[in-house]
Amino acid sequence: MTYANTARWVESKGKDRYRRGMYTWFQRTSPHPLMTTFDAADGIVCTVKRDRSNTPLGALMLLNDPAFVECAQALAKRILAEAPKTTSERVDWLMRTCVGRLSSPAERMAILGLHGEMLVLAKAKPEETAKLTNGISAADARTEAAAWVGIARLMLNLDEFMVRE
Amino acid sequence: MLRRRRFLTSTTGGIGTLALASILRDEGLLAQERDPTNPLAPLPSHFAPKAKACICIYLEGAPSQIDLFDPKPKLRELHGQPLPDSMTQNVRFAFIQKATAKILGSPRRFAKHGRCGMDLSDFLPHLGTCADDICWIRSMHSDAFNHHPGQLLMNCGSTMFGRPSMGSWLAYGLGSEARNLPAYVVLTAGRGTSGGTSNWSSGFLPTTYSGVLFRNQGEPVLHLNNPAGLSDGMQERTISALNRLNGLRREETADPEIDSRIASYELAFRMQSAAPSLLDVSDETKRTLDEYGIDRDEPEIQAHRGGGRGQFRKFALNCLLARRMIERGVRFVSLFHASWDHHSNLNAELQHNCLMADQPVAALLKDLKRRGLLDSTLVLWMSEFGRTPLGENRGGNPNATGRDHHPFAFTLWMAGGGVKPGHIHGETDDIGWGVTRDPVSVNDLHATILHQFGIDHRRLTFRFQGRDFRLTDVAGQVQQALIR
Repeated sequence: MTYANTARWVESKGKDRYRRGMYTWFQRTSPHPLMTTFDAADGIVCTVKRDRSNTPLGALMLLNDPAFVECAQALAKRILAEAPKTTSERVDWLMRTCVGRLSSPAERMAILGLHGEMLVLAKAKPEETAKLTNGISAADARTEAAAWVGIARLMLNLDEFMVRE
Repeated sequence: MLRRRRFLTSTTGGIGTLALASILRDEGLLAQERDPTNPLAPLPSHFAPKAKACICIYLEGAPSQIDLFDPKPKLRELHGQPLPDSMTQNVRFAFIQKATAKILGSPRRFAKHGRCGMDLSDFLPHLGTCADDICWIRSMHSDAFNHHPGQLLMNCGSTMFGRPSMGSWLAYGLGSEARNLPAYVVLTAGRGTSGGTSNWSSGFLPTTYSGVLFRNQGEPVLHLNNPAGLSDGMQERTISALNRLNGLRREETADPEIDSRIASYELAFRMQSAAPSLLDVSDETKRTLDEYGIDRDEPEIQAHRGGGRGQFRKFALNCLLARRMIERGVRFVSLFHASWDHHSNLNAELQHNCLMADQPVAALLKDLKRRGLLDSTLVLWMSEFGRTPLGENRGGNPNATGRDHHPFAFTLWMAGGGVKPGHIHGETDDIGWGVTRDPVSVNDLHATILHQFGIDHRRLTFRFQGRDFRLTDVAGQVQQALIR
C-alpha cells in the first residue's frame, strides 16, 4: 500500500526479470503490490506478527499476474521438452515435479478433464491461442502447448503447491 | 454427514464429540450449519435487524474532540495553567511531562447545528448540515492510551493481537449479499495506520472473513483481466478443475483454510466481471461527483501527518466507492485515513484533515439518505481515543501546539442503521477530562453495533483454544439510549 508515491513498479526486462522475488527492492513507503497482497507488513511500525490472508486479490494475482503466467508457460515448455510423450505420463511427471507425488484417480480425472477442455477451447480460437503459447511452441503444435500451459497454471495454483504443511 | 463431521472437527478444535455437539445445539450455535463451499452465504440474524451494512470511517490517530465536537470554554479561561497534581498523579501519558504541562484552550469557534443543537467547530461546516441525522456520543472512553492497542480495541474488541475485527465478525455471523464482491472491503488514504492489517484481520476466524484491502494507488484491484490468449471459458474451466483438486486435498487434510482458498478463487473469478463496473465511477452524475468533492482543488498545506498531497481525491473517492459497494450488497466497508495524531501543529494539521474529510463524509450521508440506504446502513465515525485538554510538552517544550492521547473521554458518532438521529449522548466535565454522564465503553459500542444487525453480542461466538470468544469479550451492554 503506497502512500508516498515514491515508487512506480515497472516490469523488469532481461535477466532481472528472472530473479527471485526475495531480491525485489523493498521500498518501505511503497512496497511492491505482490508483497502487499501477500500480507507483507507495511513498515510503518514494528510488526510482532504477520497476518495471513486468503483473499480473492491473491487468487487474481496468482492466476493473472504476468510473472505467474510466465512461470506456467515456462513449466509447459519443460513438459513439452523434458516429459515423456503420452498425456498420462506427462501428468505423472507434472505431479512429481510440482508436489512430489503421483495423482489419485480422482485427481487424474480432473487434470485430464481440463486438458481435454483446454484442447477444445484452444482449437476454437487459433489466433488467441498463439498469444498464450508465444515462444514455446511451433505453429502446428500450439493447441497442445496451450493445453499444457493451462495444466501448468492449474498446478501452480494448487493449495498443495503453495502451502507447506 | 461428512459435512457435519468437518464442521465439528474444524470449529471445535477437533474434539467433535456427541456430547459437545448437543451442548452446541442447545445453545443454538449449530442452528445454522455452514456450507463450507460457500462460507459467505447469507445467514439469518438472531432477531430482526435494523442495519444490513456498515461503513466505518476510521480517522486513525485520534482527532481532537475538544477542537471538533465537545467545546470547552473553560479551557480558554484556564489556558496556560497547570492542572492540580491530584488529577494527573495516577495518569499515564504517551508524551506529556506532568511537571510542566499546561492547559491548552481551543481557538476554534463553535456553533450549534440542526434541531438537536449539536455544537461543532468551524472545521466541520458540511457535517453540521447533517447534525440531525447523526447520533453523537460525547462520552466514549477507552482502556488503551497508545495507538496500536487502541486501534485493536476499537476494531477488534481487545487490545490483544489475534482477535477478529468487527467486519470479520459481521461477515462470519451474517455472510454477505454480494456474491460477486468481497463481504468486507478496506479502502485507505493517507499514511498507513499503526495497526496495519491487524485492524481488519479475521484473527482466529477463517481468513475468508478478513477485510480485503483494495489498493489506493493506480488500479484499486490488480489483474482483473485474463492473461493474453486465455479466454473466459478457459479461466472458468481452470478454476473449476482447481477447486475440484483443492476440494480433494481438503478432504484428505481436513484443513479448513482450503475452504477459504476455494472460496477466494471462486470470488476472484466473479470479481473479474463485477469489479470493473464497481470501480468505474463514470456513470455517476457530475452533481454527485461534485458533492463528494472528487475533483476539488486541494489547498496548499502546512501539514504533513495526513499523507501529503493527493489525499483529498483519494478520500472522497473512497467515500463514493463505499456507497457503490453498499448498493452491491457488500456487508462492511472500512475507510481508513491516517493520521490525525496531532501532537504538534494541531491547528493547521486538523484544519487540513477536516477540509479533506468534512465534505465527502457529509456527501456520503446525504447520498445514502436520498437513495433510501441510510436506514439500513450504519455509518460510523471513529478513532482509538481523543486528545488531552493539556498541551503536549514533549521535551519540556513550553509552547505546546498540539495535544497528547486521551482515552478517558472522547467523541465519536454513528448515523443510519436504526440509531437515534439528532441525539447527543453523554457529557464530559468542564475541561473535557472525564465522562460525567452516560459513559459508553468500546465493548458497549460493539454490543450496540451488533444489536443493530440483529445479533445478540453474547451469542455470536467462535470456539478457539478451548473457549468461546466474542467481539465484546466478557463485557458490553447494548446502549438502548442510542437506538430507535
